[in-house]
Amino acid sequence: MVHLIEDIFKNLNGWGLVTLTFILGIAEFSLGLYGKKWNTNEKLLDIACFTLPKLVIKPLVAYVGVTFLPLVIPAAKDSLTWIPFAFGALIIAIYDDLTQYWYHRLHHQVPFLWRFHRTHHSAPYMGMAMASRQNIIYTIFFSQTYLTTVLVYVGLGYPALFVKGLKSLITLLAHSSIKWDKPFYEIKWLNPIAWVLERTISTPATHHAHHADSADDGVGYYKGNFGNMFFLWDIIFGTALITRQYPAGYGIKNYKEEEWYAQFLWPIFKSKKEGSELSKGGPEVEDEVEALQPLFEKAEYHAY
Amino acid sequence: MALEISLKKRILRDALISLFIYALPVLLLLGWFAYKGEKPWQNHQKAVQTSARE
Repeated sequence: MVHLIEDIFKNLNGWGLVTLTFILGIAEFSLGLYGKKWNTNEKLLDIACFTLPKLVIKPLVAYVGVTFLPLVIPAAKDSLTWIPFAFGALIIAIYDDLTQYWYHRLHHQVPFLWRFHRTHHSAPYMGMAMASRQNIIYTIFFSQTYLTTVLVYVGLGYPALFVKGLKSLITLLAHSSIKWDKPFYEIKWLNPIAWVLERTISTPATHHAHHADSADDGVGYYKGNFGNMFFLWDIIFGTALITRQYPAGYGIKNYKEEEWYAQFLWPIFKSKKEGSELSKGGPEVEDEVEALQPLFEKAEYHAY
Repeated sequence: MALEISLKKRILRDALISLFIYALPVLLLLGWFAYKGEKPWQNHQKAVQTSARE
């Protein structure tokens, strides 16, 4: 049984997740969940973001783990293999996901960083196609990737296999347009499970709220719900909003459908769209007044 | 565009809480071994030294 679970996670960390993403993406597309919003520009952007980092970033991370770390800290290799599996998994889960929470949160709260993360929010839909949709600079500097590579190097590779697999599954499903969490809110006897789930991990309801194009309806909450695998960080830091509902619209209000290459490679390539945040000399944050509103007065979670 | 002071304070406060959260699993691990009276890192060090001599 243990071997079977081990094989599943090994597979997930290999090509398993890519295959799963494809299957779910096809299912979403076939069910018409993207509507008519997935035009050529969006398709090209999503495909570039899905494929190119796998060809560039994966070898870079492999280089860090296989060549760079043995050069810099040779004695640290496998130095923590004595840590029991459960503690190793706890360390990886907290270090990886809390670091990503901060990386993500700062890209929303520090105006200078916003444009590196904007691409992930510009999609006017939710789904597998945009789960990996990020500007290349944001992806390259994904801080937790390197932290986890160090933890694997010092001997926590085995627990990392499981935690990373589980994390990828949770974050993929939180981005999906298939609302797997809905039955947990609608079926009464599942409500207590929902209460725990929505406070522990990212669900479509809480993560879709983060991708909403408006916060006016009390459902959308793009200034919070930053958690990736764990939603617990948002609860702890007061950046959570739980409504058990899904926003009516996704994306960003000031989206000008910037060229896919500008969204993917900004600031190397700039957008030609006038007034765009990604254009030459464009504003750091277009809705500057709104962005400067106090972020935390509304940061409360619903008393479910 | 500068960050609001209240936001800066909030970020600093949450960063300090985060440092505590980062320390938690390590403290838990050390507490567990203290409770069990074990020091597995010493055995590991000896094993590494032995294999280096061989």
